[in-house]
Amino acid sequence: MIVAGLLLLALVLLGAPLFAIIACVALLGFRHNEVDLSAVAIEIYRVAEMPVLIAIPLFTFAGYLLGESQAPRRLVRMTDALLGWMPGGLAVVALLTSALFTAFTGASGVTIVALGTLLYPALRRAGYREPFSLGLVTVSGGLGLLFAPSLPLILYGVVAQQLNVGRHVTINDMFLAGILPGLLMVGLLSGWGLWENRAARLPLTAFSWQRLIDAMRESVWEIPLPLLILGGIYSGTFAVSEAAAVTAMYVLVIEVFVNREIRLAQLAHIMRESMVMVGGILLILGVSLASTNFLIDAEIPAKLFGFIKAHIDNKYVFLILLNFFLLGVAMMLDIFSALIIMVPLLLPIAIGYGVDPVHLGIIFLANMEIGYFTPPLGLNLFIASIRFNKPVLEIFRSTLPFFFLLLLGVLIITYWPALSLGLLHR
Amino acid sequence: MTQAARAHLARVLHFIARLEDGLLVGLLALMIALAAAQILLRNLLNIGFAGSDQLLRLLVLWIGLLGAIAASRDDKQIKFDVLSRHLPTAVRLAVRCGIDLFTAGVSATVAWNAGRFVHSEYAAGSVAFVSVPAWLAELILPLAFGLIALRYLLFFTSHLKLFVQQARAT
Repeated sequence: MIVAGLLLLALVLLGAPLFAIIACVALLGFRHNEVDLSAVAIEIYRVAEMPVLIAIPLFTFAGYLLGESQAPRRLVRMTDALLGWMPGGLAVVALLTSALFTAFTGASGVTIVALGTLLYPALRRAGYREPFSLGLVTVSGGLGLLFAPSLPLILYGVVAQQLNVGRHVTINDMFLAGILPGLLMVGLLSGWGLWENRAARLPLTAFSWQRLIDAMRESVWEIPLPLLILGGIYSGTFAVSEAAAVTAMYVLVIEVFVNREIRLAQLAHIMRESMVMVGGILLILGVSLASTNFLIDAEIPAKLFGFIKAHIDNKYVFLILLNFFLLGVAMMLDIFSALIIMVPLLLPIAIGYGVDPVHLGIIFLANMEIGYFTPPLGLNLFIASIRFNKPVLEIFRSTLPFFFLLLLGVLIITYWPALSLGLLHR
Repeated sequence: MTQAARAHLARVLHFIARLEDGLLVGLLALMIALAAAQILLRNLLNIGFAGSDQLLRLLVLWIGLLGAIAASRDDKQIKFDVLSRHLPTAVRLAVRCGIDLFTAGVSATVAWNAGRFVHSEYAAGSVAFVSVPAWLAELILPLAFGLIALRYLLFFTSHLKLFVQQARAT
């Protein structure tokens, strides 16, 4: 057992696909428990029994399509017309548009590609320092994870529901819980943007109603989208999967048939590319449904909890260690694998310490927001490096002030549960 | 392998790839249309059609696994790659060959057992929903894992070839 574990760990480090490792764990586990191996297939088939998963391909497709259209350009222009007159306004514009875009595109690095390339030159032109501009666009790629309808929020809800740990977690709970912590993160970074540029006399553009009206007219088809989706979800009119269906259809119609920015030939390509990402995630989810079952049967989370409880009996000490651990995970794994693999192990332990499952989800994602741009494996670090043609180390250095601010945010989120749970009344 | 046989194999693989992509795009289009139509019909006319919820959920599995096949073909499966890029080329290729074989082996095992599962459902005549037989709904499981195993076997042969070339060169 231990030998097999070490061998698999070596394979992980050498770059074996995660789904194969997890499937192997599931197969070995079932064999060990003398369960027929066709149980693996039955477990993977459970992917077809979770209605909320319908949201994943639909939102991802809509996000890819928006990213390929001119929508990011229009979004920047409109936010700039709204806020560009403020001192430090462009930094706030960059943060808000990135957060909104990430929430809708599922945090896959699309934000830096679609928005960062517009915002970075704009920030430089407006006189912001190079490292500040670079750091800002790199960091803002992950901002927005905590806002509905981001895929990681949905996926956390899905995984937590599977575990059946007493307190029920709905996707709508997650959507509500993310709002204030997400605003905290955006607020902290916006504050930094204003402070950092307090001395610089940036050439401000005066607010103009005409410019705002022009920008709004351009985006007339996209403006209803967030209102429709968020309004629909928060008012309870739409289930999450229905909101995803409406989004996918709406975006398809406006970008392909109304704005005509995506050609039909391009559409098939975008559909395929977006589903490559979805396939990678759902495959890992499917095989881990099988392995999680084995982990629970073998009482591994309970044993882990027993071990940790024997050494730490204070909830607050546990939470600080949890943050360290999650940051480590976030640096190593991409967010989707991290959620699928770690939540089944951590959730029962956290509940043992009296942490609310919804609160744990927000802590988890807040750490992941930081992990997006921390070496060695922060995805956005590499995307930014390629996109802006700068060495990874320089990008990393430029993100340091943002790193400490977001870390402060994570600590506030961790030790102030009401920030996450207040809107839920739990 | 003779030249002709190799060309034939390449054609077959190309055909399979087109089929995979076509099915993936087609099913996603179906999913978008069905999901949107369902909401419209339910809210405007207050009607729903039998089995559409189950069909949508089943489409998630099919699209997910077809996407996973495509991800394998593009060599874009999610992995955690810290060590291998620091290894010398020959060692990296050797490691990669081992990983390809491991992945192919695990996928083939899942495919085989999924095949047994589907066969037993066929024999039992189970129904997934409405009049869709369970074996048909589940068929994607052995198919997808089988095709993923095939992809990694192909990666194995091409990486092995590179490894041999590299070893000869040094």
